[in-house]
Amino acid sequence: MTKTNENEVNSDFTMNFGPAHPGSGNFAIKVEMRGERVLKATADPGYLHRGFEKLMEYREPMQNSVMSDRVCVLEPLQWNLVHAEAVDYLMGYEIPERAKYIRVILAELSRIQSHFIWYAVLSLGTGFMTGFNISIGYRDYILDVLNLITGGRVYPAGYICPGGVRKDFPENAENKILELLPKIDYMRKFALKENPAWLARFKDVGVLTKEEAIKFGATGPVLRGSGVAADVRRDDPYEIYDELEFNIPVLDKGDAYSRFKVGMLEIEESMKIITQAIDRLPKGEVRTPNLKPIVKFQKAEGEIYIRNELSRGEGAFYMVATGQKTPYRVKIRGPSFTHMIPIVEHLLTDVDYADVPAIYWSLYQCPADVDR
Amino acid sequence: MSEKSKHDKNQTIEEKLIEDLKSKLGTTVNYQKERRLWMTIDPDLIVETCTKAYELGFEHLSTISVTDWLKEGKHEVTYHLWSYTHNHLLTIKTKIDRKSPKISSINSIWGGNAETCERECHELFGVKFEGNPNLTPLFLEDWDGPPPFLKDFNWREFVKKEMYDQNNPREKVYFEVKK
Repeated sequence: MTKTNENEVNSDFTMNFGPAHPGSGNFAIKVEMRGERVLKATADPGYLHRGFEKLMEYREPMQNSVMSDRVCVLEPLQWNLVHAEAVDYLMGYEIPERAKYIRVILAELSRIQSHFIWYAVLSLGTGFMTGFNISIGYRDYILDVLNLITGGRVYPAGYICPGGVRKDFPENAENKILELLPKIDYMRKFALKENPAWLARFKDVGVLTKEEAIKFGATGPVLRGSGVAADVRRDDPYEIYDELEFNIPVLDKGDAYSRFKVGMLEIEESMKIITQAIDRLPKGEVRTPNLKPIVKFQKAEGEIYIRNELSRGEGAFYMVATGQKTPYRVKIRGPSFTHMIPIVEHLLTDVDYADVPAIYWSLYQCPADVDR
Repeated sequence: MSEKSKHDKNQTIEEKLIEDLKSKLGTTVNYQKERRLWMTIDPDLIVETCTKAYELGFEHLSTISVTDWLKEGKHEVTYHLWSYTHNHLLTIKTKIDRKSPKISSINSIWGGNAETCERECHELFGVKFEGNPNLTPLFLEDWDGPPPFLKDFNWREFVKKEMYDQNNPREKVYFEVKK
């Protein structure tokens, strides 16, 4: 795992953080060390490269819809939504109002459960096992509801599909979601408690300034933690987000704690969105009427760049259609791609090794959407 | 403000932005849909155009992608830029020769972010970005075949040839011709 570095004058040895480290995910960082100090870090992605962009060129949109779950394990419903919106635009589908509301409710539930995992891995990375256990436990309440609605706990298997959603809410689903909210609120307050040990690990660590954040292409909580009030849901609204009232939490310190806190404050906003959407949930169809299971993609021609606000930041699909059954080209932009390669390399320069997990996880990474 | 007047106001802002971009970038800027603009430029002008776009407020490089137009013999390099001030996406497209694909790097503007996006395009499509000091592969280890995302690289055939054995009873199913 470690080796002495004879060529490099400055560093004593290089070491791997990951890919088998329990706190790194399927991702590695090669760190050059001098004593306890990290001098330089090099990201080493590729452990989860499945080539989705190429695979999608060989498959029809409904098959791709199932595959789009797998782009990121931790927020599959939101990836479903980005893919579905790209096909909807190219096919010119009008989405029924009810389906739009269901899409938003599920995307926000998915965001909350993903933020819970974030809190869990931050705790795991800094040795706070209670935080990990309690957070994963509360996440499970949300997974139960997702299971009830989509049929899959983690992977919805293309529940949000081109044309709307696959099935309507089962009976009593709205109440089940509303019953979740107090539990989510309890967990959110628990995570936001100013625990001195937590503050000592995350305050003033890994500072990313506003200018750097924009230059390196940061998005989502990482960007908002550095003082830029940008959110795709507000700036480039999709589905029904422009009709809903919610705030965008912004903190301007740019350190690991600000990033984390922005994420936890977002949970409250997501809860507001869910309450409003369930209040106004209209009745009616959930998929474009008369739409057969197969999408006739031969009719589609053109291209589109669809952006969505995922839990981690800006996720996008660039899709080109040329009148074939399958898309001609698909490009997926994962939010972690910029966070985990240029930004992590920038932040892990001249820091203590003990801060590496705190900085690494505060960037809210998902190796799956780096590699795709 | 009523819905209609709000819509009209947005439209005038959009028209003004398009006019502004046209005069400053010196090319036609096309309107695709709400908040989506695109333009085509000559590959030699890429650094200059991106610099101007950056100065005009398109400061977020969302991603760089390549589309392989096999029949035309061209690679289309696409730059997606978002503006936090105008809230618009500007897509800059440029076509380069497929046989010797090369284009200048835009790392002078976006530094590490542009370099990483270009590394990906170099690895998967073989496009050479001149001026990018680090084009080492990101995803594929020990790969010495052709760039895998090219349209004329058939990975199904490749896998059959390299990975499967026709004489192995478990794997011969992959060689059976579908009726």
